[in-house]
Amino acid sequence: MKLENRLPAEGINASREHPLKEFAWLVGGALAVVATIVVAISYGAQWIAPRIPFEYETKLVGDRLTIEPKTEEGRAVQAQLQALADRLAAHMALPPGMKVKAGYHEGGMVNAFATLGGHTVFFRGLLAKVDSEDALAMVMAHEIAHLKYRHPAAALGRGVAVGVVLSLVSADLGRSAAGGVLSQAGMLTLLSFNREQERQADEEALRVLAAEYGHVGGAIDLFDVFKRVQSDQAGASMPQVEFLNTHPLTANRVQAVRQWAVERGKAVDGPRRPLSGAIAAARDAALKQKTDESAAAK
Amino acid sequence: MGAFIELLIFLGLLATGYFVGQVIERRHYASIRVRERRYRDIMAFPMRFAPNAVAAQDAYLVSGTVVISADYFKTFVAGLRNLIGGNFRAYETLMERARREAILRLKEDARRRGSSLVVCVRFETTTISSGWAPAMEIFAYGTALVPRAMPERAAGSVPPGSVSASLSRG
Repeated sequence: MKLENRLPAEGINASREHPLKEFAWLVGGALAVVATIVVAISYGAQWIAPRIPFEYETKLVGDRLTIEPKTEEGRAVQAQLQALADRLAAHMALPPGMKVKAGYHEGGMVNAFATLGGHTVFFRGLLAKVDSEDALAMVMAHEIAHLKYRHPAAALGRGVAVGVVLSLVSADLGRSAAGGVLSQAGMLTLLSFNREQERQADEEALRVLAAEYGHVGGAIDLFDVFKRVQSDQAGASMPQVEFLNTHPLTANRVQAVRQWAVERGKAVDGPRRPLSGAIAAARDAALKQKTDESAAAK
Repeated sequence: MGAFIELLIFLGLLATGYFVGQVIERRHYASIRVRERRYRDIMAFPMRFAPNAVAAQDAYLVSGTVVISADYFKTFVAGLRNLIGGNFRAYETLMERARREAILRLKEDARRRGSSLVVCVRFETTTISSGWAPAMEIFAYGTALVPRAMPERAAGSVPPGSVSASLSRG
């Protein structure tokens, strides 16, 4: 019997493949799978939402989203917003049973949103920024278009489904970092899907604007407002990345408006309608308050 | 913004894990290869009994133990690998290093005992931590054989209380 102690063999028990190769394959594959699942769920939710009767949505939310302004002025503004919403909705062929409910929130945010049950909410901060009914109508038509396409319902279903899938993935990976990265990738995919909905809502809003006012000047006015607000807030310090934003960039939206109008032979500009009584009064009051505040600050 | 910072931190950890882990691994392999040559005269075998030709020996338990941890990069790759299964390549080098290191430590123990033949070498592993940074203990042990001391030398040279001392007296 011969006893011999040779050196351990190299390259048999440990792979010589470069570690980054496996890393690239696994990360690429996992991101592709998550993105595919999220996109499939998103389209599924978007497909199914309009097929769910609107009354289920109304039952689901009940009175929880109804807004009651506290002041007499607020109620007057809300009534006039409702009148405008009804006028715009008349152009829109809403799904059966859908009734748009315009809500007025006396907060200072420059914002408006549409949510479940046909509710839309417009903030006083937004009214303070618009100069004509046309610009306000653009926001309103945009929000009503979200309702028409059942985006809030789709977002709810999508949010729940994607949340369940991503939490399954994360739970499966335990505390490992891989789960976190996959969730992030899923959220980014969701954002880009939201932008598609915003484009759809913009397009419908332009159609309504052209039908009601004969031109789409209100859209240009509105995006000018957004541009001013953005440069006020950010100080234009950080370049915006479209991929990280739910809404398309303002510059792209203005361009899309012009392109849309030219392609369909609609006027880009025309006479603007003034804001109606109570809304104009609320706007002036908000502007005055702001001037007083800045004077007091000085 | 929060998500962006989280992503930056994650990428930082990943890059640190990768580059530092690679440097450490390369150095460890280099050191292992040098020491494997240095300890080449010590033979270690898995067979249970000593070959007949070397039967008259004193025997000691010798051991080498290593605790080794995965780095952030390896853990991340392994986490993804967990989804689809297959070869845990990221951990293979880690475990190979640990086993070779454990054998080297066992041989060092044997050399200190004056032995150049270890039989019945066995490995044990224990999971120390299985969270996001798994760590393992690799334990190698065996029976080191030392040429039996001559009776007249035994009194002076054999450490008191050791197995060989009691054996040579008995």
